[in-house]
Amino acid sequence: MIQAQGLTRRFGPTTAIADLGFQVGAGEVVGFLGLNGAGKTTTMRILAGSLGPSSGSAALDGHDIQKNPRLAKSRVGYLPERPPVHPEMSVRSYLAHAARLKGADPKSAVATVMDQTGLEAVAHRLIGNLSKGFQQRVGLAQALVHKPAVLILDEPETGLDPAQRQEIRSLIRGLANEKTAILLSTHVLAEVESLCTRVLVIHQGRIVAQDDMSELETLQVQVARPGQAALDALEAVAGEGSVEAMADGRYSLPGQTDREALSKVATAFGLLELTNRNRLEERFLRLTRGDE
Amino acid sequence: MKPVLSIARRELGAIFATPVGWACLSSLLLMTGLFFAWMLGLYAETALQAATSPWDDPVNLNDHLIAPFFGSWAVILLFLCPAISMGLIAQDRKEGSLELLLTAPVSTTQIVLGKYLGALGFVKAMLVCTLHFPVLLWWLGEPDPGVLLSCYLSILLLSSAFLAVGLAASAMTKSQLVALSISFAVLLGFWVLGATEPQTGSMLSSWVEHASLLDHMERLTRGALHTQDLAYFAGFTAFFLFVAHQRIEAMRWAE
Repeated sequence: MIQAQGLTRRFGPTTAIADLGFQVGAGEVVGFLGLNGAGKTTTMRILAGSLGPSSGSAALDGHDIQKNPRLAKSRVGYLPERPPVHPEMSVRSYLAHAARLKGADPKSAVATVMDQTGLEAVAHRLIGNLSKGFQQRVGLAQALVHKPAVLILDEPETGLDPAQRQEIRSLIRGLANEKTAILLSTHVLAEVESLCTRVLVIHQGRIVAQDDMSELETLQVQVARPGQAALDALEAVAGEGSVEAMADGRYSLPGQTDREALSKVATAFGLLELTNRNRLEERFLRLTRGDE
Repeated sequence: MKPVLSIARRELGAIFATPVGWACLSSLLLMTGLFFAWMLGLYAETALQAATSPWDDPVNLNDHLIAPFFGSWAVILLFLCPAISMGLIAQDRKEGSLELLLTAPVSTTQIVLGKYLGALGFVKAMLVCTLHFPVLLWWLGEPDPGVLLSCYLSILLLSSAFLAVGLAASAMTKSQLVALSISFAVLLGFWVLGATEPQTGSMLSSWVEHASLLDHMERLTRGALHTQDLAYFAGFTAFFLFVAHQRIEAMRWAE
């Protein structure tokens, strides 16, 4: 759905992104991570069509963004970091305007998207008078109004309260289930852990890692009677050499380990705790500090 | 065409939604009202003089009131059009809402035309609000309908040209005040061209005469509809719309 190849963007002497190549398939939610200034927004703006690349190419739903910009843009919904709203317009009229621009039928499209994003209650209010969270939702609604095949979200949870975050997350999950390809940039790693199937880490304009979320998951078990016997028993379940012994009778195992078998083995050695842990933050910090 | 109309409709609504739009409308009505009262007084004085003096030429409503009155609108529009157009793109850039247009499946030409037609729609609405002047003129005498139409056409053409400059200026910056200053300076430049024309050399003088906005407008307010004047306004407007188009394209590609 999203295919980027050799994407490069220079601003004067500065190279914002260099030779980026990645893919996002239908129904995938991919987290796009990087420190501030790493090149996330530049990449997303190029994919959405508001910025041209210096070199390289990208295609959305099979349409090249430079050769067929209109077709490519008609397939993408983009929520920039700052929602592109007009404060003097009402929510309904703004979404109708966005629908007309994107070639959708304003009446049906606006009703559907307001229902999806929970905006009916504020449909007639001026956008400028809404809270930041609601403005963010309006921005998300304009990205969804034409039912795009590709969704590019630049920090969609900014300004949202915990309840609104939950709603937006379930909306994103629903869209992924409907086979929308979603590229999501955020600094909230919990958001990535709960939503994404894969992560792309960009650092100083280059992709430094593309990981499946399952690869980043680990299981941690704590037993009352640690020792060589416990380690051998755990390795028999998780695979030889894949178990790391830690302090206080704790052991770290790969996320894909059969949990039922693991709990049985650990119980024999006095199971105290079995937890699921994500190494995303650790890995992200290591990559962006240049340790890897 | 649908996206163009949608953008134009939003722009028109945005101008009416801001104090700038209403301030421009009320300024136009106030200033034209004052000019009309002042010029009507002068006209009445001249008419009285002509009636009492057998040597003076008879006074004509078209030449002595309508032409100078509508000619004076150029000064008002010189101030109002930059104010109307200053936010067309600058405001969107400042608020970040230009992203909606740049990422929508619409061309840059459609964006420029939509913005431009929205502002022009507002000027047309302002002109509709001044239709009491023709009614007053008919009440006062027998104005030539052709001259009146030509005057309104000249104002519309002049506004079109001014707004095109304003749109190009608005695309240059995120600041509405800077956009206002740029468009006012450019328009003043073309205005001054007309004033300096007699002092320049013959070859240059001809070029300057062709470039001056006012010379073309004066002919129209006298009721003389020349193709060269219409072509001048069309060319002037098209040039500045092209500048706006190129500036928006540059936003995507500038390095």
